[in-house]
Amino acid sequence: MSDKDDFFIGWSAETPKADRRFFMLAGLGLLAGTGGAAALIGGAQDGGGPGTWDQGDIQEWRGIASALPYPTLRTRDTDGKIKTAFLSCLNKCTPELRINQYRDGEVVIRGSAIRRGEHLMIATEDSGAWISQASGSLPDQLALPEEEALGSAELRGEILDTKCWFGAMRPSSGKVHKACASLCIRSGLPPAFYVKPLREQERLLIITDRRGAPVSQDVLPYVADRMRLSGDVVRKGDVLYLRTDVSTFERV
Amino acid sequence: MAHDYKAIQWTPFKKRYDLFLLLGVATYLVLFFVFTAGGQPDGESLHPVQIAIAATGSLSFLMLTFILSIGPLARFTDRMKPFLYNRRHVGVATFIIALLHAALVVIWYHGFSETNVFVSLLASNPRYSSLQGFPFESLGVAAFFILFLMAATSHDFWNAHLGPGLWKALHMLVYVAFALLVGHVMFGFVQDQTSIVYPVLVGSSALWVSGLHIAAGFKSATPSDVHLGRFIEVAEVSAFEEGRARIVTPSKGERIAVFLHKGKLSAISNVCRHQGGPLGEGRVIDDCVTCPWHGFQYRLEDGRSPEPFSEKVATYSVKVEDGMVFVDSEPKEPGTRTEPVSLHGEDAL
Ligand code: FES
Repeated sequence: MSDKDDFFIGWSAETPKADRRFFMLAGLGLLAGTGGAAALIGGAQDGGGPGTWDQGDIQEWRGIASALPYPTLRTRDTDGKIKTAFLSCLNKCTPELRINQYRDGEVVIRGSAIRRGEHLMIATEDSGAWISQASGSLPDQLALPEEEALGSAELRGEILDTKCWFGAMRPSSGKVHKACASLCIRSGLPPAFYVKPLREQERLLIITDRRGAPVSQDVLPYVADRMRLSGDVVRKGDVLYLRTDVSTFERV
Repeated sequence: MAHDYKAIQWTPFKKRYDLFLLLGVATYLVLFFVFTAGGQPDGESLHPVQIAIAATGSLSFLMLTFILSIGPLARFTDRMKPFLYNRRHVGVATFIIALLHAALVVIWYHGFSETNVFVSLLASNPRYSSLQGFPFESLGVAAFFILFLMAATSHDFWNAHLGPGLWKALHMLVYVAFALLVGHVMFGFVQDQTSIVYPVLVGSSALWVSGLHIAAGFKSATPSDVHLGRFIEVAEVSAFEEGRARIVTPSKGERIAVFLHKGKLSAISNVCRHQGGPLGEGRVIDDCVTCPWHGFQYRLEDGRSPEPFSEKVATYSVKVEDGMVFVDSEPKEPGTRTEPVSLHGEDAL
């Protein structure tokens, strides 16, 4: 064996045999380890939730629009159920509803459905023509429901944005998603309060201020943190609202 | 003539090495998608973009853990040397994957909005005083800039122009980046997930990397605290192998490589003038110490590269007393002729 035989020199064209053997074995071992790590790390992730959003599936939704506290459309879902659908645009933003223009009238909104369970949000089409006045008479069932006070409550949970949680993102809660949820809420999308654990939570409460108006930007620092909120719960048709005051928010 | 900056050629080994690297990256990403899909409850799925964010983030963390393991492992076995000398390829690949991760995060979580993405990235969570709420994003951003700096200066060109000392100091920042990333993952992804797998994995990576470095530190800490005036103890004569060196670390200055060649002992600086390669891990070939990194050569008796080259390293006096080898801790001017000490003459035993 000459001097060079078992001496690895980085620049040399020949690799000693022992190094080659070790390198092959180590390389194969590392490949197997890499695969194992991918299986372990990928497979152990928490569920992303059952939300869906097919952006390409644009439909026409007839119903009654209202701008407050957050833009909604009282409409008949594809399965015939009457629902309050929240409205968003394609990005992290809220469509501007010039509500006076459409007051008391039926409208048609073009957009794709973001759904999670019974929850529905319509992501309006990205063009000026996403809303138009519908012709014909207003069906009674779509009339905006009366509000019903359910009493006061103190709840623990997490503040999230409805758009992502309904299906725009998966996962859509927790710290990793915090900045995104803040952007959505900042843009006027309705913030919601989910009682932990999320998985067993079937209903969500939409957060408004004490008077039932949209919450202020003061809510942003608390998004995605574990919170205790107290306030009055109000039902309007199929939506629960939590009327609360940011100054009473408490981190748990 | 000095060697100056010289591009290092591609060799079949390097090609095979990069092939494995590419294969590893592809295997991880594909299997990550497959197993993520398989791990989800019925009727649920993670968004593909978000899977890609988790896949690229975890992969670059694992790759950095691997990179940081190579150095200390190479102190235990010479067989790791091929990995050591090609570590930079993994480094650059790690940066590219981290870049992908960063780009996806910025677009997906912080984009699609009227708010500036960088404002969202750095200012949307101001809870720096809270452990639970700590804005993990800023740790990732800091680590990313370090990786960027390292990848950008990884080419030999920069090594040649910044000088091996500064280059090495710059690249030591990788440890800062690793610490930042441990925080980034712990305060971010790990905190969000319920599985115990993640804290255990990140914790063991951090322990593994620090444990390895401590163990390697102990291994290479030669007992250079035995003194004979300026001379420090190297090893017993019998511990020397023909054509190889023992390395000692003086309390200040560069490490010293003491070679045994043709029955004679001579000492030169351990630091190669090319890119700081460890001369003491090299071999004597054609009467010259040959750097294991790219093969620069230095004569044993005066530390000079053979003609026509003009590199030179410091030389040191050696002496042998009672079968124990000592080396002067003070270097001589680089290129100073220093007579090797014969083990068979009267001056030796
Ligand atoms: S570092 Fe390149 S030859 Fe020594």
